[in-house]
Amino acid sequence: MKRAVGFLVLFAAVVLGAATLVSLGVNPPQVGIRPLGRYYLENSYFGEPSPKSPEAVTAIVWDYRGLDTIYEVTVFFLAIMGGLAIFRLEKAEKKKSERPAELTLVVKLATKILAVLIIAVSASIALHGHLTPGGGFQGGTALAIAPLLILVAYSRYVLEEKGLTYIKAIIARSLSLVLILSVVLAPALYGYYLLQNQPFYPAEVSGQLVSGSLWFFNLFDYIAIGMGFTAIFLYLSIPEEVYKEELEAVKE
Amino acid sequence: MIITHLIMLLVASILGLFFSYMAITEKDLLKAIAFSAGQGVAYSLIFYLLMAPDVVLAYIAVAVGIYSALLVFVVSKTTRYEEG
Repeated sequence: MKRAVGFLVLFAAVVLGAATLVSLGVNPPQVGIRPLGRYYLENSYFGEPSPKSPEAVTAIVWDYRGLDTIYEVTVFFLAIMGGLAIFRLEKAEKKKSERPAELTLVVKLATKILAVLIIAVSASIALHGHLTPGGGFQGGTALAIAPLLILVAYSRYVLEEKGLTYIKAIIARSLSLVLILSVVLAPALYGYYLLQNQPFYPAEVSGQLVSGSLWFFNLFDYIAIGMGFTAIFLYLSIPEEVYKEELEAVKE
Repeated sequence: MIITHLIMLLVASILGLFFSYMAITEKDLLKAIAFSAGQGVAYSLIFYLLMAPDVVLAYIAVAVGIYSALLVFVVSKTTRYEEG
């Protein structure tokens, strides 16, 4: 009851505030496109020079403002490494004899179908990132949902028996980061600018538009983000008892 | 036609406000995480209506899937009910 009153007060305050701002004419609605937006829309594919990508957002993210995105990828890498420093295990976990309780057949079967669909959709989001809305980060976050579903419906031991341990996820992530950096550095070695896209990388490969370096950035970022989140889920789902046992072993 | 979009925006933002308020005042942390995921759905609807499909794709996966899952893992390592 108290919560309902609180919400009504908050709701009335927001509505009154919005009505006041509208009646005062603060921040009128945008009519037409700003000159900066018009420049990106007109030049992201047809302009000269241009990133040769029909998707203006991906062109901005990986070409016009590419350095910002590189730093963002680095920050995410540091965050995962910080988590790994806290949650890592010194030695491999002991095999448990009894399996933890599992969910019903309906959930397990639905998870099997959904996981395959999610991986296909995420690959489509990431690899068409230079043509349609989407890109490496969006595809990667969608990819990370698939192992998460398997983790919840089965258990983390199923993932590890299939070979997806958090060490392997971290290795895959680091490899794709190295590949991103090599795509960044390669133009500089041949006398172009760092992170340069167009004259150096081909816009089309055998008749298919790849928008130069944008496709490679999207692909490697897709693997890096997906595997990074998978690693987080895998080491967060290690049960507390394992850490307690390890702490006691250190004491002795 | 723009009035339809504005009404949809209004409904979605009120839903988002409601879910955020419920998430903040809830004492059961698992329920609070569920309310927070509902707020994510409402906000991704707003992003879609504002014609930002790139943001929708990232936001729906992060706010409903990854963020909720991370918080459930964190709650499983502490206690379920907020005290006080």
